[in-house]
Amino acid sequence: MRKFMISVAALSLLSACGMGGGASEDASGDGTGTVELAEFPERPLWGDTHLHTDNSFDAFGFGARLGPEDALRFASGEEVISTTGVSAKLSRPLDFLVIADHAELLGGIRRLYDAPRVMIRDETMRKWYDMMHESPQESQRAMSEIIAAAAANTLPAGMNDPEANAEAIAGVWTAHLDTLDRFNRPGKFTTLAGYEYSLVPGGNNLHRVVVFRDGSEKTKQTLPFGWDGTDEANVSQLWDYMEGYEKATGGSVLAIPHNSNMSDGTMFELTKHDGGPMTAEYARRRAEHEPIVEATQIKGDSESHPFLSPNDEFASFGDVGWELGNLTDPSSKENGMFAGEYLREALKRGLTIEQQTGVNPYQFGMIGSTDSHTALATGDEDNFFGKHTGNEPRGERGNEAQNLGTRKGRFAWNYLAGGYAAVWARANTRAEIFDAMERREVYATTGPRMVVRLFAGFDFADDAFDGDWVRDGYANGVPMGGALVDEGKAPRFVVSALKDPEGANLDRVQIVKGWVDASGNTQERIYDIAWSDPANRLMSGGKLPAVGDTVDRAKATYENSIGAAELNTVWTDPDYREGQNAFYYVRVLEIPTPRWTLFDAVRFGVELSAESAANAVSQERAYSSPVWLNSPKTGA
Amino acid sequence: MTLPGWTREPLVHFLFGGLLLFAFFAWRGEDVDPASRSIDISREQQARIALQFERTMQRAPTDGELDALVDQYVREEVLYREALRLGLNNDDAVVRKRMAQKMDYLAASRAETQQPSDATLQAWLDEHPARFAPDSRFSFDQLWFAEKSAADAAKARLDTEGRWQDLGERISLPSSLDAASRSDVTARFGSEFAANLEGGAKDEWIGPVRSGFGFHLVRLRDATNGPVPPLAEIRDRVENDWRAETMAKRRGEAFAILRDAYDVTLEQ
Repeated sequence: MRKFMISVAALSLLSACGMGGGASEDASGDGTGTVELAEFPERPLWGDTHLHTDNSFDAFGFGARLGPEDALRFASGEEVISTTGVSAKLSRPLDFLVIADHAELLGGIRRLYDAPRVMIRDETMRKWYDMMHESPQESQRAMSEIIAAAAANTLPAGMNDPEANAEAIAGVWTAHLDTLDRFNRPGKFTTLAGYEYSLVPGGNNLHRVVVFRDGSEKTKQTLPFGWDGTDEANVSQLWDYMEGYEKATGGSVLAIPHNSNMSDGTMFELTKHDGGPMTAEYARRRAEHEPIVEATQIKGDSESHPFLSPNDEFASFGDVGWELGNLTDPSSKENGMFAGEYLREALKRGLTIEQQTGVNPYQFGMIGSTDSHTALATGDEDNFFGKHTGNEPRGERGNEAQNLGTRKGRFAWNYLAGGYAAVWARANTRAEIFDAMERREVYATTGPRMVVRLFAGFDFADDAFDGDWVRDGYANGVPMGGALVDEGKAPRFVVSALKDPEGANLDRVQIVKGWVDASGNTQERIYDIAWSDPANRLMSGGKLPAVGDTVDRAKATYENSIGAAELNTVWTDPDYREGQNAFYYVRVLEIPTPRWTLFDAVRFGVELSAESAANAVSQERAYSSPVWLNSPKTGA
Repeated sequence: MTLPGWTREPLVHFLFGGLLLFAFFAWRGEDVDPASRSIDISREQQARIALQFERTMQRAPTDGELDALVDQYVREEVLYREALRLGLNNDDAVVRKRMAQKMDYLAASRAETQQPSDATLQAWLDEHPARFAPDSRFSFDQLWFAEKSAADAAKARLDTEGRWQDLGERISLPSSLDAASRSDVTARFGSEFAANLEGGAKDEWIGPVRSGFGFHLVRLRDATNGPVPPLAEIRDRVENDWRAETMAKRRGEAFAILRDAYDVTLEQ
């Protein structure tokens, strides 16, 4: 009887993900010609570009038992039952989803878990097998060991050999692409093909999410490209793979770096990855293949850090816990590493490298995403389903140590509830969303769905908002992600931020400017350009008074009695100097609201640890992609 | 000839299939009885052990290795059976969960691999038309106000003013939308506002209506519910829905049949 059970279970696992084919032609292509395009993007499309399902080795090992189909049903607004048996439904569906399961060991841990134990010869693999079967706690420990082994390149042979796994991976990948096509509904809900390339030499997180523009006819001609586990591996191999795919299929693919905050300074270096001097060609390849970066997600926020931006009172959001070290060693960080980790500094470094080589490698836009390992793309504070199944909603989860390879450093309350990607696309199709990412017309939020618009140009009128300002913005300027050529006069910016109708009011809108000064040093400055209650909140000594705080810590509630529904302004750079290359991006702050940890404390009646209680309220935010101002000689 | 209805019942297939498999393994001489104290390892079983080794190690096992593998298998089998005899599985949460999971897999596996016919899906569509009906579409005008009092005051002036568009306060929301889907309205205005459009009176200003932005005066011009599309256009969606529900139903039904055989008493 036992064997009969195993064979049937294995059979049903093989056929999980449903049967191939069957998707309509409209649904299986890139969406071109399937829906009418708007004249210009009318509302941002909301999505998650970074979601893991039980096809990811770590998600499965941490206990997730929901697959791609559950993930797609949930993101498109249907109700699903989470791994721990709680029913879950998004109050507002997402517009698009990229399932980004790890290319490495794709489906492999599930195969290991379901293999008859007697067949597992390798002692290490057998140990992990036993741990995964012993208890959820042991399973998490096994995953930590596997992640650490991958980072240290000590995975057993046969576990991480791409050749050996190719057949199994091809099966998972093909079935997955068919599933994506079956759920893809141009104009309604878009499923983009993708995966995660998990390069993590020595524990330094250099992961990228790889996203395809194309339908399954093209994506079936490739396989996910994973890290081979060697220290010699580097990101240019991924770019080779991407160029190969584009050449062979005529398709398009891009890569999105994430968690630069745990790269020990190696994500945005001034040199090539091997320490050699940065070249124009290398910079060009990086910029071409990586047009956007994930600025914020569950494992922290990488926009700014107080060490790099001592004059920015809001720089520390989502830094605590993640700033201590890299992915596997939460004690490896030195101050000198921060500059290669946080996006504002990376944007500044990009200007410096452009001065030296003529090309800016770090001319990227910004998005947010979840990196959830539960197959549930939840981004809000009041619906946080945890980083992985081990911390789906439970009373004590916030206080637990997160011993990814160690028992010190990080705690569950350091996790953010997630983020979302907002995309200004002309239609909800694969091609239009991908193209918006390519032109960087995207922005990041830490979860709330505020609508952020940014146009830059030289001729906007002070009363722009009295007219048809969006059409005018596109006609006489560039949107977020674009570049202006210096015309010898100060650039003007039309900026609008509209609150999430189901969220908190807005505190303020800021412009973050970075530039290279006359002596070749990078500088940054933050301007408050619009804020709520301007009659009573007056600037003093260059500082704006805080918006206030309505959060009731005992009930996890807040009041929209402070803050504004919308903030608009036309702003001119007062510190413009001709010939100084610069970037400008918008940061929008909400009024203070409860974090997920406070919701947990109230719902489950638990006591937060002192540090967690001190971090139980935050000002959620949005980051626009920058606009660059380039002198004519370097071009736009 | 027509078969009686019960023969077409998937559950009967499921139980019958289980019986067949059980009979097959019993006939093959596989151990179906953990209480038995004889272990026979057939040639096929040895080949399976060797093949699995090969898949992991990318080479065939040597004779020595195969012997060791078989020894391991025997050791595990002996300990497993003795553990069952001692009832060690009874209080093991992992074993319980895993076995229960496998029973569920068993019940749903046919639905997972089955290719439903057009007739099956058409029947499904006919049964649940609301699930596949397109979103309601709304055409409406709206004015926004930060405070309710301002909205009330403006409402009184709507009939006397020439241009209604001039009465609202400025916000980056469309003052008019034509044939916007309910999900689009929800994305722009929030759920509360969208719910208020359902079943509203037409061609007259109503409100103030609340939203996350403040207060609105709303004039609904048109609301339509489109027809349910033909199966050919939405086959994927119908199949996804049928598969998910059928799998859940099979699991439920299989459990109900098993559950009926048990008496459960809760001590008060």
